[in-house]
Amino acid sequence: MLVGDFPEVLRRAAAGDASAFARLWRDTHPPLLRYLWVSAGDAAEDVAADVWLEVARRIGSFRGGEHEFRGWLFTMARRKMIDRHRYEARRPVSPTGNGELLDRPAADDTVAAALEYISTETALALIATLPRDQAEIIVLRVVVGLDASAVAQIVGKSPGAVRVAAHRGLRTLRERVADATVTSPGRGGVTL
Amino acid sequence: MRVFAASLAEMWFSARKRNRLSPDEATAELLLAGRHLGRHEPASQRTLELILAAAAGPATERELAGETAAVTAFLAALPEPEPARHRGPRRLPVLAVGFVLVALVALCGTAEAGALPAPLQRLAHQTINAPAPSPAMGVPQPGADVTPGPGATGSQSAPGSSGPSQESRTGKPSASPKPTHTSDSQGNGNGQPSASATATDTAQPTATDNGKGNGGTPGQGGSPSGHPTGNNGNGNGQN
Repeated sequence: MLVGDFPEVLRRAAAGDASAFARLWRDTHPPLLRYLWVSAGDAAEDVAADVWLEVARRIGSFRGGEHEFRGWLFTMARRKMIDRHRYEARRPVSPTGNGELLDRPAADDTVAAALEYISTETALALIATLPRDQAEIIVLRVVVGLDASAVAQIVGKSPGAVRVAAHRGLRTLRERVADATVTSPGRGGVTL
Repeated sequence: MRVFAASLAEMWFSARKRNRLSPDEATAELLLAGRHLGRHEPASQRTLELILAAAAGPATERELAGETAAVTAFLAALPEPEPARHRGPRRLPVLAVGFVLVALVALCGTAEAGALPAPLQRLAHQTINAPAPSPAMGVPQPGADVTPGPGATGSQSAPGSSGPSQESRTGKPSASPKPTHTSDSQGNGNGQPSASATATDTAQPTATDNGKGNGGTPGQGGSPSGHPTGNNGNGNGQN
């Protein structure tokens, strides 16, 4: 998060300053990509590129602080992701195998791998095994750092529904972790 | 009343129950907010904390690999410099010229109508051939507005005699201007020109007359002055 520097960085980026935009991008692109990995799969990078193009075109008209900017960006990302899903539903294509997360492993295998060495990608892959709405909400809250109200605005639900979905998702994850430690003791289990 | 109070208490308890988080929910909120759990939490909860922390970990090289491409795309996608930025300075001269033109047209129209103040009307008369200012518009001379008597009516415009301005528009002087001394001397008062005045009608201004009272050719009609001035030329001897 840029926190205090954000207004100045945003102002310069809106004026066309490439270095300010790069700073904004470095700060926001990783969580954007992680969100899209979980919710859009192998289309994540394409959708992210579309989102940044849209940001470049409209950043001059944006008003607000850093949290509002993130809300604006992820709302845009979600709409593009939905458009993408609709397009792909109309014209299904065979998977090309370019994305590492395209062939998602089964939940048990992922948990076992996560418990051996928890990398960012592995953790995201584990979250991606949840139902899509729960995974999306957990990433927006944990990775992007938005509160329940901001997430509710992005996903179009009430804050209460967002909390319930997040709690359900975490409970499911915890049960899978517990099962994995019981069923895969030979793989090292949990070392804390 | 008792039933009502009981239902209120029930609503209060149920609302409190709804707002209170279960231990699992409280832990979940801590995890979602990125807080650390204590060591007393079960291992599965702490593993979950580890997974969420990894998901929110620092950016990887792979994630930041596209920075150059992103900045290039940003520069290419920037909207063109706003034309509105140039619109102001460009619009200003156009507006100024338009305003000046409108003001000029209005000024000329007023001058042609002879409605300008006397000094300005005189200037317009000299520059754009607008009608000369009538004496009534000028500064009143001492004794100029005394009660007209016979022979003093020449300084006032009678109905139907519009003076030099009308002449200048029509291009030919009206027949009413008469030599002043004739009407003044006769003073018949019936509005009809006297015989001598009729004779002076032949002393029409020439074609070169511009209605400014210089068109009469002296001597042609026996007019003593030969200057049918509009100011005093009505000759009708009103009174």
